[in-house]
Amino acid sequence: MKHATIMETTLIGDANLRLTTRPRGRPIHKILVSFSAAYFAGALVTDLVYWQIPDVLWERFSVWLITAGLIMAGLAAIAYVIDLAGGRRIDSPAWPRAVGYAIAVLFSLVNAFVHSRDGYTAVVPTGLMLSGLVIVVLLLTAWVGRALLANRHRVGG
Amino acid sequence: MMHAVKIAPWVKLPRLALVLVAVAGLGLAGCDDNGGDPKIQIGANPVLPALRQYLIPPIRIAKVVAWGKETPTLPQGLQVHALATGFEHPRSLYVLPNGDVLVVESNGPKAPVSRPKDIITGWVQWFAGAKAKDANRITLLRGANGDGTPELRTVFLDHLNSPFGVALIGHDLYVANTDAIVRYPYQDGQTSITAAGTKLTDLPGGPIDHHWTKSLLASPDGSKLYVGVGSNSNITENGIGAEYERAAIWEVDRASGAHRIFASGIRNPTGLQWEPETGKLWAIANERDEIGPDLVPDYLTSVQDGGFYGWPYSYYGQHLDPRVQPQRPDLVATAIAPDYALSSHVAPLGVAMYTGTDLPANYRGGAFVSEHGSWDRSPLNGYKVVFVPFTSGKPSGPAQDVVTGFLDANNHARGRPVGLAVDRTGGLLIADDVGDTVWRVSSNNPRSASNN
Repeated sequence: MKHATIMETTLIGDANLRLTTRPRGRPIHKILVSFSAAYFAGALVTDLVYWQIPDVLWERFSVWLITAGLIMAGLAAIAYVIDLAGGRRIDSPAWPRAVGYAIAVLFSLVNAFVHSRDGYTAVVPTGLMLSGLVIVVLLLTAWVGRALLANRHRVGG
Repeated sequence: MMHAVKIAPWVKLPRLALVLVAVAGLGLAGCDDNGGDPKIQIGANPVLPALRQYLIPPIRIAKVVAWGKETPTLPQGLQVHALATGFEHPRSLYVLPNGDVLVVESNGPKAPVSRPKDIITGWVQWFAGAKAKDANRITLLRGANGDGTPELRTVFLDHLNSPFGVALIGHDLYVANTDAIVRYPYQDGQTSITAAGTKLTDLPGGPIDHHWTKSLLASPDGSKLYVGVGSNSNITENGIGAEYERAAIWEVDRASGAHRIFASGIRNPTGLQWEPETGKLWAIANERDEIGPDLVPDYLTSVQDGGFYGWPYSYYGQHLDPRVQPQRPDLVATAIAPDYALSSHVAPLGVAMYTGTDLPANYRGGAFVSEHGSWDRSPLNGYKVVFVPFTSGKPSGPAQDVVTGFLDANNHARGRPVGLAVDRTGGLLIADDVGDTVWRVSSNNPRSASNN
């Protein structure tokens, strides 16, 4: 029990630390990026279902989810500019995460074209692989971003 | 997903640059992929390249321009004039026994948007002039043989539902709407029908109705009607359930309205004709898209009772299409290769076996085929009416260009040929659904032609 308590304290401490680094609230683009990532993840799920049950309904879910994700990514780009202009604090280092997200969106754009093919090969195998790859890239980006952020906090206090 | 949600900052510029590079790359991938010489895909043994799949399939649409004072181009011995103009998307033609010409003005029902791609397709069709309003009527022309304007032009039948095929048997006039065959009473010489129609049978219609045209042909004894019913998709992307009794030629019993599938696996049989020498049923068909500029050739073929012609599982016999899942090896094993390839994406939409006597003798007994023209291939293919010579009931040589000039020197479309018919005096009639005209091709020296 003692051990667990210590862990909790550590977490709370960590959360407090973050709050202090964000004086002007959550940037709008972050919310939009969350939406796009959720759409892309949804597309992976519907692709997996289509792979097992090749009913066109699932392929249509996928292509609309990917399209919605891309629209959200476009809006996120606009919001990012607004966030910058509005002086909202952007987490740094920004570049590694921006590049990671850009790669994921690029793969998703290609994936939208693959998913616009007619029939089974709209998903299997290329579309399914791209949907998976997008999620892998997003997860890696998140992990790298967190690691860098943690590192910065450790170094810079 | 918690991790992904937390990935925060994005920089606009580098991503935009990447996206632009990617789009440019995709565009190029679509453009440098030109189709080969269509000649090697005409005839009994077309050369079939390997199947390819694209991020952006090749699209090339001919911009629409007006005919102005121009007319189609013809070889020596033939002439053409506009029989009548000012139609709304004239799609098919039918000649009544008294010589009256029926012009079916029709366009497809509005396509539903099931995928983002359908929005893009809508723009493409609009650009190609295929989005004209659906007139849903049949216009009658009388007394137009030879020289210009018909003496009489009346609305023969109105308020139809995307009609295409017409067939007269005795005093029963059958119209194939997109969703049903309807029978109307017809008296010789009648110029307008106001009587309500009687439905003979339903046909596969909406709500998707991808290939909406229903071609129609009466059996010589008048007991049966043959109906060309196109598929409900390019290649089953609307689900195999949407293809029930589609991509087939129906045989409908005229007395009862009952039907059976006469032949299946024909993606879009847009025209049916009896071959005059053997009495066999022949069809033109539009094959599948998006697997290359030279796949799959559209075709002209005899149709065997009970025959399966491959769609969707295979093309040209046993060439498998990986886009269809689950596959049906049992059906593919029985797939019949069509008789005569017309080359890829020409979009044959009209066929007329010529049994008249006005045109020069070399045209007798063969098939005129109108090629509406490609939209997914570069260079453009089709946009003309060709003639396929027949000997002993079979194609006997390469297709010859007969009516050309639908494309101008800049590859802009002045018109696109659709329905064909032979009028009472042997002239070849061509519906042009972009030029909104009906053209009539005749011999420019009728006497010498009949002596040939």
